[in-house]
Amino acid sequence: MAAFGSFALLLALALAAYNLFAGTAALRLLASGRPARISADRLADTARRAGIASFVAVTAAAVALAWSALTNDFTITYIAEHSNRALPAPYKFAALWSGQEGSLLLWAWLLGGYGFILRLTHETEVKLYAYAGTILAAVEVFFLAVVNFAAPPFSLLKGAIPDDGNGLNPLLQYPEMVIHPPLLYLGYVGFTIPFAFALGALMMRYPGETWIKVTRRWTLVSWLFLTLGIVVGMHWAYGVLGWGGYWGWDPVENASLMPWLTGTAFLHSVVMQERKGMMKSWNIWLIFATFMLSILGTLLTRGGLVSSVHAFAQSSLGTWFMVFLAIVLAVCVLTYIFKRNHLKSEQRIESLVSRESSFLFNNLVLLTACFVILWGTLFPILSEFVEGSKITVGAPFFDRVAVPIGIFLLFLTGVGPLLPWRAASLQAIRRNFLLPALAVWATVIGGITAGVQPWQDGAFDIGRLYALVAFALAAGVLTAILSEFLRGARVIVRQTSCNLFAAIYLLIRRNTRRYGGYCVHIGVVVAMIGLAGAAFNRSMESELALHDRMGIGPYTLENAGGSQDTNTNYNSESVLLDVYRGGKRVFQVAPERRTYLASDQPQTMAAIHSGPGGDLYVIYEGTDSDTGHPIIKALLNPLVGWIWTGLVFIVFGTLVALTPGLRPIAATVRMPAVRTAPAEAALKGGD
Amino acid sequence: MTEMQGIIAGAMLTLALGIYIFWPENAPASQSEKSRLDYLLERKEQLYENLRDLTFEYRAGKYPEEDFVAQRSLLENETALLIKEIERVERTRPGRIALRAR
Repeated sequence: MAAFGSFALLLALALAAYNLFAGTAALRLLASGRPARISADRLADTARRAGIASFVAVTAAAVALAWSALTNDFTITYIAEHSNRALPAPYKFAALWSGQEGSLLLWAWLLGGYGFILRLTHETEVKLYAYAGTILAAVEVFFLAVVNFAAPPFSLLKGAIPDDGNGLNPLLQYPEMVIHPPLLYLGYVGFTIPFAFALGALMMRYPGETWIKVTRRWTLVSWLFLTLGIVVGMHWAYGVLGWGGYWGWDPVENASLMPWLTGTAFLHSVVMQERKGMMKSWNIWLIFATFMLSILGTLLTRGGLVSSVHAFAQSSLGTWFMVFLAIVLAVCVLTYIFKRNHLKSEQRIESLVSRESSFLFNNLVLLTACFVILWGTLFPILSEFVEGSKITVGAPFFDRVAVPIGIFLLFLTGVGPLLPWRAASLQAIRRNFLLPALAVWATVIGGITAGVQPWQDGAFDIGRLYALVAFALAAGVLTAILSEFLRGARVIVRQTSCNLFAAIYLLIRRNTRRYGGYCVHIGVVVAMIGLAGAAFNRSMESELALHDRMGIGPYTLENAGGSQDTNTNYNSESVLLDVYRGGKRVFQVAPERRTYLASDQPQTMAAIHSGPGGDLYVIYEGTDSDTGHPIIKALLNPLVGWIWTGLVFIVFGTLVALTPGLRPIAATVRMPAVRTAPAEAALKGGD
Repeated sequence: MTEMQGIIAGAMLTLALGIYIFWPENAPASQSEKSRLDYLLERKEQLYENLRDLTFEYRAGKYPEEDFVAQRSLLENETALLIKEIERVERTRPGRIALRAR
């Protein structure tokens, strides 16, 4: 299998290189208009097919590696290091992306897969797709060169072949880890497609904004995968790392958040370009930045630049990615300099209080967040470069900066949809903002009455203040969004006499993008409530002998004994804890400690019980060396479930936004214009 | 799979993909240039959509009467100018009857 896999990878590289060079030659031939021995269209078509064939070859290589993992082929170094015989089949499959070489192969395969779809749908806009396909081929050549020469997954083990492999890192033996990396990679890799379209459109001076419509869908899909990848990763961290949290501002976590922020900014500001021909340069640079941040994330993970639970071992790959990033940046800057005249805005923002300016503010806030995170992530590297010592920036810095930014973003999420395009009169503001403002104040008063005060035991608590503000804003945003749905539905009820639910369905079908976007906003608000709820988390740690008890919130935990288990993959030891509420036994939890046999590494498995009142999160931390009694840590996280619920809304909303809306019926009566005024903006562009 | 079997399988894959890439195609998709008229027609669609949205939001009660009238007037003027430009471009192009049918 190793020979076939290596051969297929080399073939994939050759085909991607042909796609790049033949595609470039065809585009140059077309631009020059010179006659040639082969027609430019024919040459471009062979390039496109080579791109498709490259995907088939890289698929063959990926199948070869997966097959080697499933059949325990320990002649391959990668399999010997990341798998073992007793590993369950899904985790053997996941071993494909648990190491440097395999995950880069996965990256190349996903890139090829996206390219496969792009090249099959090329008749949508042949020339634009030819440019995008050629640019994509350049990126594919880079990744395939990396897996062929810098991190080959099929290199053979030197010396004696072991009977068994080293096994998979215990942290990765968790269901989410089977899906978290592919989802994240689908997001990262997916941003290559909008990048290729944006750069291609700029290179060919594409007239109009249709390329944006093509790109938007790809961006939305990539954004959805990245969001899913991030949240599933949070859920994995919550369940596996055993500290009761889900986000530690780890450099690699930050690396995934940065392209998410710029991608989110693009999805908002692109509306301005489509509707009004504004912010063209801004949008181009948002796409460029999103792609480059994806590559930067890969550089951070693989270059050994930062210390992280996610990072791979230090290797020479950092140089490869740095050079690639420098080339990408140079190409983007030069293309922009030579073609920037094509990106002049057709209109300007007329008022600071308008939908346009809310989009602009939203973008500025998202980019500020991105810059702060980038600064904090790279600061240890920069400080080491300048002062010779690494100064680490920890979670308190990020929390201090990111929480106010997040709250301001929440505010803008509510304000944006309520503002009209162009300019808002005082009357319009009064009319649209009354209900959300009432909801905000009602929540503040209700929250304080219910005990959500920013002070506790006479001391001011900034975390609780932020939580109160977040809850109040969340109520305002939800009211704003629901009133948008109800107002729209009422119009449809008046027009069609259908019932309210049918009207809401029709409303969403009428403008899937807008109302899908609102559903995503609902998801963001729900997730924000969950994040703000961290201010009310409680924890308790105690040594529990048999039948000893400890209390946390409304629960009392009693040690009811222990159990031990063993299988071919690991030995486990757990403590059985009966949980009482109001004096009644309501359920039992069993936090566990495992020792994986292949790697001899221990792993804590938290026991999590989710209920309407929140999560009871219990960790078996080990035994006291003197008494031999188990040490139990219990956490009560009241609103953490809201984060995962928010994801459901986000996924639903994005899928709605991706669905084509109803087409309007064309008018057949021609009316003369009542009066004419200068409106040349509409005629600009398209040359 | 032995090394030799792997190389044979790889050679067969190469052959199959080579045939796929260079198989003669009688009518490869042509990379035609997008015209200014195409651009103007796209822009017209967008302006119509903006007008529909404005009217819908007005009916939903988001705009006071004066704001709506002023904004609609602006958008209609833009659209009228655009349609005039489309007609001018169409008049200067050959085969305009076919285009008007769009």
